[in-house]
Amino acid sequence: MTGAKDHVTVTVRAFATLREVMDRELRCEYPSGVTVGTLLRDLVQKYNGLGALLFSDPETLRDYVNILVNGRNMEFLAGLSTPLADGDTIALFPPAAGG
Amino acid sequence: MDGYAGKIVYADLSAGKVLIKPTPPELKKLYLGGRGFGIRLLTDMVDPKTDPLDAKNVLVLAAGPLTGTGTPLGSRYEVSTLSPLTGAAISANSGGVFGWKMKKAGFDAIVVSGKAKKPAWLFLDNGKAEIRDASGLWGKTTGQTTDAIQNELNDKGVRVACIGPAGEKLVRFACIINEKTRAAGRGGVGAVMGSKNLKAIAARGDQMIKPADEAKLKAVNERVKKKLEENGIEQALQKYGTAVLINIINENYVMPTRNFQSARFAAAEKVSGETMAATILKQNKGCYSCIVKCGRVCNVDGELGEGPEYEPDWAFGPDCGIDDLKAVARANNICNEYGLDAISAPTTIACLMEMAEKGYVKHAVRFGDAKGMLALVEQIAKREGIGDELAEGSFRFATKYGHPELSMSSKKQELPAYDPRGIQGYGLATATSVRGGDHVYGYMIAPEILGSPQKLDPYVTAGKPQWVKTFQDLTAGIDASGMCLFSSFALGADDYADLVAATTGMKVDAAELLKIGERIWNLQKLYNIKRGFGRKDDTLPARLLNEPLKEGAPSGQVSRIGEMLDEYYTLRGWDRDGVPSPAKLKELGL
Ligand code: SF4
Repeated sequence: MTGAKDHVTVTVRAFATLREVMDRELRCEYPSGVTVGTLLRDLVQKYNGLGALLFSDPETLRDYVNILVNGRNMEFLAGLSTPLADGDTIALFPPAAGG
Repeated sequence: MDGYAGKIVYADLSAGKVLIKPTPPELKKLYLGGRGFGIRLLTDMVDPKTDPLDAKNVLVLAAGPLTGTGTPLGSRYEVSTLSPLTGAAISANSGGVFGWKMKKAGFDAIVVSGKAKKPAWLFLDNGKAEIRDASGLWGKTTGQTTDAIQNELNDKGVRVACIGPAGEKLVRFACIINEKTRAAGRGGVGAVMGSKNLKAIAARGDQMIKPADEAKLKAVNERVKKKLEENGIEQALQKYGTAVLINIINENYVMPTRNFQSARFAAAEKVSGETMAATILKQNKGCYSCIVKCGRVCNVDGELGEGPEYEPDWAFGPDCGIDDLKAVARANNICNEYGLDAISAPTTIACLMEMAEKGYVKHAVRFGDAKGMLALVEQIAKREGIGDELAEGSFRFATKYGHPELSMSSKKQELPAYDPRGIQGYGLATATSVRGGDHVYGYMIAPEILGSPQKLDPYVTAGKPQWVKTFQDLTAGIDASGMCLFSSFALGADDYADLVAATTGMKVDAAELLKIGERIWNLQKLYNIKRGFGRKDDTLPARLLNEPLKEGAPSGQVSRIGEMLDEYYTLRGWDRDGVPSPAKLKELGL
């Protein structure tokens, strides 16, 4: 076991079509310093079919995919480089809309 | 041919006469159709001093040139009138099949004036129009009325737009329902119909509606179809319906909860589009010539109904503190049957819930009380008990009991399902909406939350006035064209302009379409100024301006419309009071 300081535990929540390929909610532990990008790449490894739903190429999210970190769109934080802190909640949305 | 049916029918219910006239070419050129026709005809015909429920008000139902011409999502018609809820010249939009049938019957617009001596319905039958006796229909629900007219004519193909008991009782937010479940929802257009003793309008016919350039339209239609099919947002609309927004808005911490007291509903998942799809959803359904088919047919313990869409789902759900999806769906069905706006009815109930909890009104209902909520919906529709007071809308109700600040409305119309404190551009759009609290006169949620056409930071005010103006003008143009606004997640101004040009043969590019939209917006604004509206009305409830959000990322924020309003007016060519300048009016030919 590593000390709690070296690790962060985050909650991931998936919505709409993403639920067809992954768990709707999971908790993940990472070494501290982990970014949204690392988390997503890890999830893509773990869940078959997720990559195609989220990414248009390995570094670019598909149009209208929205990733929220504690309710804030990561686009207005540091994008895929946004660092994650212990206790963060990351919400993953495929393209979706209403009105 | 030019995509138009070619005629407008004028029904004077006081005189019991109908008159049919050609659709004026100038009207087509300057106002296109739909909302443009409606606002122009309404403001031409009605003195600005008129009370909305007076016989002198008129009701205009108008389709657009793209309605019913086979263009995907070309399904809409628009109802324009003076609103008994807001007092403004407004329009409300509906889909389904009625708009197409109206044109097949030979009419681009239906203009209803006066008041019938006894209940009447209007029959548009393949180029002819007649006023018929509706005494036997009065008191019936929208479903019963539709069935009765179809049975009387022995024709299931005839399409019916009608009011339910709520419209008859002049509930200030009664709506007009076509095909039993599609609503021209907002602003009380159904009450105006009721005030005229007009129960229904039915249409049938086989008139040809041909575009100006068939080959060109075919090519543009193909392009548009491809864009719609390939767009991820449109695909999600098909799969989950509009209620997919429940989780999105909630996770952004901008989901108005318990009458906007907070912006996060812990049990949102229970009323989400995902839960709906996994439980009560039977199938999806589309309006005329729609390939997206976002409509939901739901089965609640054997009772089939359509919806709930996102807005009523939120309003009967989180805004009333209710997490029972079946109760929400039932309440939505009652609104369709009785002809109530499924945004204003539940949000007015949410207002009562807060007033009752705070002890400002003596009533047993509390947030989370699904049974109490369902009873109140019926009471409002029938104007029974406290329902009679709630039928006046949340603003008049809350004011009567000394707490207007608890009405979550703008220009007396209840706000929809987004908390402006965490979505700054949306706040400006809804505060400046010429029809009152609203989301579909300029859907800033698209860029600020959904990232379409691009991601805009919802917490920032800079640059938003220009976006709001453009969205408002483009939406007015789309509403005039007859297209469903949901197409705009995939299509841009160029696409609409190409569709309009190929259909009508008129020279319309993106700039011209935006100009038509801007003309409609300014005409509506100008007329509403004559009705007493001004800068003081372009605002939001004090709670949203002064009480910061307390949870999640937008914590600490209030709506900062004050930072944006002057710039917005300037961009519009209006003075500090929001009055269009002579130069702007000249530019728009007003
Ligand atoms: S997208 Fe939905 S509302 Fe629009 S035309 Fe299609 S089914 Fe009707």
